[in-house]
Amino acid sequence: MKNARILVVDDEENIRLLFKEELEDEGFEVDLASNGFEALDKLKQGRFDLVVLDIKMPGMDGIQALNEIKNANKDQPVILCSAYGEFKQDFSSWVSDGYVVKSADTRELKQTIKNILGL
Amino acid sequence: MSDSIKKQSQSVNPVDLLGKIIEISHSNLELTSRINSILNIISRDMSCEEVIIYTFDKDKRLTCRFANQKSVLFKILNQYRCHVGEGIVGSVAQKRSPLFYTIRDVPPRFGCLFYPELDEKLENYKAFAFLPLADDSYLYGVLVLSAVSRDALHDAEKIFLSILSREIGGILRSYELILSSKKRISELATLSELGKVLTSNAEPHELLKNIALIIAKSLNATFVTIKLEYSPLKLDVHRFTYGVIDPSVQDHVRELEGTATRLLRAVSMKDCSPDEYESGFRFSLFSAPVISKNRVLGTLTICGEKTGQNYTLGEDGQYLINTIANYISSGLENTLLNTRLRDAVRELGDAQKRLIEQEKFRSLGEMTANIAHEIKNPLVIIGGFTKRLAKQVDLGRTENKYISIILNEVTRLESILNEVLNYVKETPLLAETCNINDYLDETLYLLTSDASWEEVRIVKTYDPGLPPIACDSQQLKQVLINILINAHEAMHGRGTITIQTKQATYENKPFIAISITDTGGGIDPAIIDNVFNPFFTTKERGTGLGLAISNKIIKNHKGHIDVENIAGKGVTFIIYLPVKNHTTKEEFL
Repeated sequence: MKNARILVVDDEENIRLLFKEELEDEGFEVDLASNGFEALDKLKQGRFDLVVLDIKMPGMDGIQALNEIKNANKDQPVILCSAYGEFKQDFSSWVSDGYVVKSADTRELKQTIKNILGL
Repeated sequence: MSDSIKKQSQSVNPVDLLGKIIEISHSNLELTSRINSILNIISRDMSCEEVIIYTFDKDKRLTCRFANQKSVLFKILNQYRCHVGEGIVGSVAQKRSPLFYTIRDVPPRFGCLFYPELDEKLENYKAFAFLPLADDSYLYGVLVLSAVSRDALHDAEKIFLSILSREIGGILRSYELILSSKKRISELATLSELGKVLTSNAEPHELLKNIALIIAKSLNATFVTIKLEYSPLKLDVHRFTYGVIDPSVQDHVRELEGTATRLLRAVSMKDCSPDEYESGFRFSLFSAPVISKNRVLGTLTICGEKTGQNYTLGEDGQYLINTIANYISSGLENTLLNTRLRDAVRELGDAQKRLIEQEKFRSLGEMTANIAHEIKNPLVIIGGFTKRLAKQVDLGRTENKYISIILNEVTRLESILNEVLNYVKETPLLAETCNINDYLDETLYLLTSDASWEEVRIVKTYDPGLPPIACDSQQLKQVLINILINAHEAMHGRGTITIQTKQATYENKPFIAISITDTGGGIDPAIIDNVFNPFFTTKERGTGLGLAISNKIIKNHKGHIDVENIAGKGVTFIIYLPVKNHTTKEEFL
């Protein structure tokens, strides 16, 4: 699974770039989407081992996208990655496989990905 | 016709005389001058050395009140008083018919008593006339004439005197009417003045002082004293007096106040100690209870000198003092209502201020959360790429130092933003059964292992039998840490923290109470209301969220936090948490 494919969904271009480079350094293959609709399109076109999903995005937000993704394929692993420390009072967020607070320190994100992928 | 009679008939023309007298009686002169003028004219024109009028005094006794200027007997006669029926004056008053004496009769006895100094003098008088001063319904007094120079009055003069006595009766009657209306007017003026004071918004102290003053001034009283027995107004003074309470009446005042309170009606000294009152007591005293809603608030006592000029509270004073007492009770009621209303308005104002503050903080909170969210992304980008930069480029020592400064500041900013965003977003509770004493010990162990806690003495008084409670242990630990760190900072790392756990009840439900007391000098009372407000801080580098989050967490646990502040000493935070039985897991979620 070292070459696992990861889809990073975030409306902020530089965040996408940061996560892409950080995750590629770890040996992952990274694709990008800037909102929920784009993410759903990419998921239809190809298989991803994991989706890193921002919550606050214009158009379709992360929670809506999470539901769509899980409805289409309940086994698709998704990590919510948000500026908010907790989003658990929203029950829909419970269906995600992981929750990471967005931080300049990407170690937690990488560790969570590895845990889910069993690396 | 004898010489003397001839002389009289020459000198007296009854019609002329009557004309003059009617003219005087209808003049604008003051009563005493009018009557004295009439008596002088009669004396001169009818050659009578003494022309005297008896009227009734306060005790309904006939008293010698007016006389012609040259009267000799007046000075002696006015020392004596007689009841109706006593002596010649009293009997004329009783029978309401005139009596005449001539030189041939034995001189009459004036009163019921023998007046030794009078008997001798009366020997010289030859003719007497006693006429009732009355109209059809009322008797006002007795007119007395006596002559040295004449032997008798003839019939025309007697008829004239009868007419005259009716006229004088009329003057006395109108005078009495004027007196009583003056009295009523002064009573009304008193009540109207009182009304003005009572409807003013004066403080209770001022109000009672003014009441005493107005009553004393308008009734010409020696003193007026208001004693408060029971007062919901919570005054520190219980007696308001205008004037000086004469030492000789102090006991009477107390006795009257007691009696008025007991009998629930106005009483006078005449009722309470009639003997002493009659035996020349100087003062006239009245007391009335001030009653509101069947409760005696106090008593009003008015005192005047019996012979005092213009002292208005006469024999029938009970009516007036009762009315005044009623006025006072409604005035006190008003003041009480006013005070309560003012308090309520102030409380409402405070509540409104608090609400506005809270609302301000809430919208401020939302705005801050939005800003925090917007800042978070750029911060992650700055920090993230700085890290990448540090990894990829071979940098010198200085550059590495700079990079580590940037990364430290990014970390600090991130943690502040996380706190802000955490406060705004609700955190669900993970309810588990907790033993508070254990959690306290764990938290304390974590904190005090740091060197900065070396000079803090921890005093623990735990209740070992504390019932278990349901709580989210992580969140509860956060609360304990927040409060303990605040205590540590307030004491600048040196002092005593006392931690107590015990069982408590709140609104009849079992709670446990955790109190944490520091010796950090307490909180400025001016800001104590703000300590739980988000973003309120006294620390240079605080976010002002520690206690706000703690409060929110405890509220989510269906508990509450109290603050007991002793300014200058320290502060105690008491956390109340409901005991498990009363808070099921479902209630949390």
